[in-house]
Parts: sequence; structure tokens; C-alpha cells
Amino acid sequence: MNDFSELEADLKKLRPAPASDELCRRIERSLDLPNELPTAGVLPGMQTRARAGGWRSFAFGLLGVAALVVLGVTFFDQTPMTPKVAITSATPPVVATGFQPAGLSQVVYSGRDEGLVFPPNDSSPLRRRLRYETRETMRWRNAQTGASVRVTYPVEQVVLTPVAFQ
Amino acid sequence: MESIISHEDWKTCFAQLGPALLLFARRWTNSRADAEDVVQEAFVRFWRRQHSVEDRGLLYAMVRSTALDRLRSEQRRSRREVVASLDQDNHCEPVFAPEDESQQLLAAAVERLPDEQREVVILKIWNELTFAEIATALSISQNTAASRYRYALGTLKKMLQPHE
Repeated sequence: MNDFSELEADLKKLRPAPASDELCRRIERSLDLPNELPTAGVLPGMQTRARAGGWRSFAFGLLGVAALVVLGVTFFDQTPMTPKVAITSATPPVVATGFQPAGLSQVVYSGRDEGLVFPPNDSSPLRRRLRYETRETMRWRNAQTGASVRVTYPVEQVVLTPVAFQ
Repeated sequence: MESIISHEDWKTCFAQLGPALLLFARRWTNSRADAEDVVQEAFVRFWRRQHSVEDRGLLYAMVRSTALDRLRSEQRRSRREVVASLDQDNHCEPVFAPEDESQQLLAAAVERLPDEQREVVILKIWNELTFAEIATALSISQNTAASRYRYALGTLKKMLQPHE
């Protein structure tokens, strides 16, 4: 291996291109989110880190699952295909059936152009890679009781759009 | 590298490992942005599971498996694109930051290495993994890792010899 010591030393002097600040921010955001659980209306900045408060993440998860069960019953009750879901749910159907969809909002709070993606061969078009970070909020409302349910969750989309030159 | 092992802060850890992780991930990706996605996913998964930072072989294995999962996912869309993505000629963006002409030549030579040799060199030189850790990361034997490394250095030396 001694023959290569000089070459190894030269290789070690060569530095890889540094990681971008944006990548660090993305990792920070990902680590701040609870471990793949629904966020049920809680903004990422208000959440505790998954490593520090496992029981809180679990509680949020339970809340999220309960909300989804209620919403699922609401949706499935409107179609003839899903009576089983309503039957197996622990939530009283009387409460669940009163909820009606009241709106969906989508807020794009970050959009980033990540540059061109060169095609692997000449037959594919040149594409531009765009990353959008959005927050979607779905709302349901019970007209009889005035109660409402709101679920908010983050969405990250990567879109490849063809680039046309004139 | 000792400071990484004892440090609990992911930022410090990533500041030192990040560039080399990206370099490693580039083998399976078409662009730097794709490589960043792979590294982000693997690093977050590794950190959340609270693995020891000493277990770097596992971290690199996770980067590799994440990249391969993405490749398989794309394979469902287009087999042709996957085959092309393994072709190193498609790497248009620089993966090194050479400071002078001799380093540019060296970086270009590393880029031209066969995939199997290149990944071992990347793990050994810029990630400072032992052959045992490289074997874990790549699911190969230690002897295979060591021989690929020797072949890679031999190939590089030949590439860098002045033509007569």
C-alpha cells in the first residue's frame, strides 16, 4: 500500500463540494416534525422534537387518528360502499354524520427553483426542478351543533416541468 | 473524526459528514438535488432512530438503501431512465471543489473510475471508513472492499501518469 501513499495524500487534499445551507434547513425542518405522524393542526414550529417528547408525539398521533376516524365515518356514510367503517367505529354515528366538508385551503409558503435536470438521453426534454412546500387545511362543519373539525398537514412537492426554448 | 463521534448535535455531525454523504449518494442520482433528497431522507431516518454516530457503516448503508429505493420507484415509471441514471456521464454538476489544475485532473480521474471502485474510494478517503465499515455499508466482504480499493488506486495512478 506504500506505493499509493502519495496518491492517497493527494486524494485527501481534494475536498467534496459542500452541502448547501438549504439542505441543512430541510433536515432541521424534518427533524422538528413528529415521526411520520399526522400533524392535526399543529404547526411544526410549535412541536416538540420527536426525540425529546415521545409521549407527546404519541398523544398527537392518537388525536390525529381519532380525527381521521371521525372524518372517515363522515365521508363513508355518504357512499353506499362503506357501511362497515361506520359500524366498526367507536365514534357515535349520530355525531359523525352531521359533519359536512366546509372547505380546503392550500397555502404555498415556500417555492424554490432547484435548477435544470439534464435528461439521461437526447430523446427526453430538458426539465426544471421546482420544490413547493405547502400547508393544506381541510375543514368540516356540523351544521346542527356548530362544531367544526380542522386538519392541517404539510405537503412537500417536487415538480419537474419541461423547459421550452424559443 | 473523533469530535463527530462524541457529539450529540446533528448540525455538527452533518457539517462534517454531509459533503461526503452527498458525494456517496451521487452514484445513484442524476443531479445534486436528487442526491440531497436521498441524504436528507437517510440522515433524518438515521438520526430519529437514535443510532450511534459511531455506527457510520449503518448510516452509509441507509443512504445506499434510500437511493436504491428511489431508483426502484423510478423504475416503475421508466426502466430506461433508471439504466441511464447509473451512467456516470450524466453527472453534469461538479461533485468536488478542486483548488487547482492538478486537483481538477484528480477529480476527473475519480469520476471516471468504475462505480464499484469509486464508491469504495469515496467511503475510504472522504468518509474515513474502515474496510469493516465499508463492508457493512456496501454488503460486501472486507477482502472485497480492500481489493476494490487497491484496484481503484492502481487505476487512478495509471490515469494520472503523463502520456508519452
